[in-house]
Amino acid sequence: MSSRRSRQPAAPPRITDDQIIELVSKLRQLLPEIRHRRSDKVSASKVLQETCNYVRSLHREVDDLSERLSQLLATIDADSPEAAIIRSLIM
Amino acid sequence: MNHYVSDFEKDDDCAIPTSSTLTRSKRSITSEDEIMELLWQNGQVVVQSQTQMSLKKSQHHKYDNTVLPIEQSTPREIRSSHEQQQHLLMQEDEMAPWLHYPLNDTNFDQDFCADLLYPSTACVTSTTTNTSAAPIRSTHNPEARLHPAVSAATATATATNTATASRPPIPPTRRAEVVQNFAYFSRHRARGGVSESGPSNLKTVLKESTVVDSSDTPAMVSESRISEAAFARSTAGVSSGDNACGIMSGAAVAGTSSRGGGSNNKDLITCEMTVTSSPGGSSASAEPPSQKLATDDRKRKGREDETEYHSEDVEFESTDAKRQLRGSTSMKRSRAAEVHNLSERRRRDRINEKMRALQELIPRCNKSDKASMLDEAIEYLKSLQLQIQMMSMGCSMVPMMFPGIQQYMLPLGMGMGMGMGTEMGMNRPMMPFPNVLAGAPMPTPAAAAHLGPRFPNPTFHMPTIPTPAPDPSRIQATNQSDPMLSAISTQNPNLQHRVLNFSDPYQQYLGLQQTQTPVSQNQAKTRPITSKPGTSQAAENLDNHQSGRHSISLIIGFYKRNCPCLVEGL
Repeated sequence: MSSRRSRQPAAPPRITDDQIIELVSKLRQLLPEIRHRRSDKVSASKVLQETCNYVRSLHREVDDLSERLSQLLATIDADSPEAAIIRSLIM
Repeated sequence: MNHYVSDFEKDDDCAIPTSSTLTRSKRSITSEDEIMELLWQNGQVVVQSQTQMSLKKSQHHKYDNTVLPIEQSTPREIRSSHEQQQHLLMQEDEMAPWLHYPLNDTNFDQDFCADLLYPSTACVTSTTTNTSAAPIRSTHNPEARLHPAVSAATATATATNTATASRPPIPPTRRAEVVQNFAYFSRHRARGGVSESGPSNLKTVLKESTVVDSSDTPAMVSESRISEAAFARSTAGVSSGDNACGIMSGAAVAGTSSRGGGSNNKDLITCEMTVTSSPGGSSASAEPPSQKLATDDRKRKGREDETEYHSEDVEFESTDAKRQLRGSTSMKRSRAAEVHNLSERRRRDRINEKMRALQELIPRCNKSDKASMLDEAIEYLKSLQLQIQMMSMGCSMVPMMFPGIQQYMLPLGMGMGMGMGTEMGMNRPMMPFPNVLAGAPMPTPAAAAHLGPRFPNPTFHMPTIPTPAPDPSRIQATNQSDPMLSAISTQNPNLQHRVLNFSDPYQQYLGLQQTQTPVSQNQAKTRPITSKPGTSQAAENLDNHQSGRHSISLIIGFYKRNCPCLVEGL
């Protein structure tokens, strides 16, 4: 971020840019795609975008798995321990 | 210039509606020249720009008529239908500001008109064709920018035709309009000068015109065109083509980044002027004639200088012109700074927008702080990954409920507890939870790793082999509860027992999420059996919790009901 211009950084002064950079790098480590790429070229905007997309995909996956588990739950005896496990998983 | 003057005269003669008009136009022309000069003096180029702009406007008017139709049907229709009238009106408007100044030379005006008319046509043609002559280039560029959508051929043809047709009526009309438009023009001028800190108002206006022409705001353009058509045309027509061109080019270049919000009128006028001027300016011949016209009087001479100046600017491009105008590179720097600020702001806006989107995705995220929000995002992402891992394991394991599953149940239970604990911890950080999980999850990965390869092994020796030390309590409990579990389950007693044991942690965690009981349960279960430091710590932490004691009692009761054998030690 350039502070040489008259514009001031949007972040509050107590939050340093380094903090943001560190968090962005941490986030980058979690993202599967960017992790394999060169990290110094990725911008914060791209990282945030990738994070949003990844979170949405994870949500979809969770929904799919929940769907499958619920289906499994229907197939097995509801009183079985497995059902309990599945319920806990879905929960 | 001379020949332009003659042309202008010829045109003027052809289309002079009234002598009075001519006179007025002449007067306005001269006044226009004067105005332009004055403007130039003030802003070094302002005055001239006005006159030039008026000329340009008139030319632009012609050009607009030809080009606008292509871009906008409505204004085009209006213009085309009232082209001549508009020319007249515009000319009057353009001349209006000139009226303020004593008329020096009607010929000048005529010449201007001629130049504008003629060059406009030529410019249009050349512009549309995107010729790249040095002086023309600058003018063409703005024109091209102004009317990017205008098909070269169509615009050219139309412009040529219209320009030619409008040429005769334009000069006289311009003069008449100049008088009327003077007020508008001066207003625009003032606004341009005030609003635009950049180069001369002309440039500003040109910029705006560029913006407008670039159809940033179709409505604005149309409105401005319609309303300002008169002004612009008159102005354009009046203003020398060169000046207009130069200014236009400069303005266009400078105006690419201009917000152009100043005034539609200005924009329109600028556009028109620019367009007309650019056509005139685009053609080298057009510029000199306009310059010559300008030099008809002292004003004209000044205009020549200005036009020359403009042409120079055009050649050197707007930045140089600006610099010359300002006499320093500060303007250039400031513009660069503005552009940079703009880009910086856009970048920040993009990042903020993405941060907001991420915040919406993260549940229970009430942080407005960037850093804390990113922290939460990171934790949530981890928990999500873990949850999905557990769920996928469960999905794959449940269909395969046979003894071999047992080995997966343990890590699954542990992992589930860990994952859920993590997620719950994220939502409601609970001190004991991480500790409890720390004790359990630690062995879990090891157990999982240990059990992983055993999955295909159907013969699962539940009690001791698969489960590593981390969960000896469970194993022992399992062994102890074998007889009881067998009674409960219909399948393999070990499996049932195993499952039951595994389900406990889930229930524990679930309960813990609500009442923190499961944690105590786990601790209660492990406490009598083993003395894991983690669990003891967890127990301590649990005790610290409000519902610690209560949860422990609940857990014990649960175990007593379900697994009496397990709670022997309790």
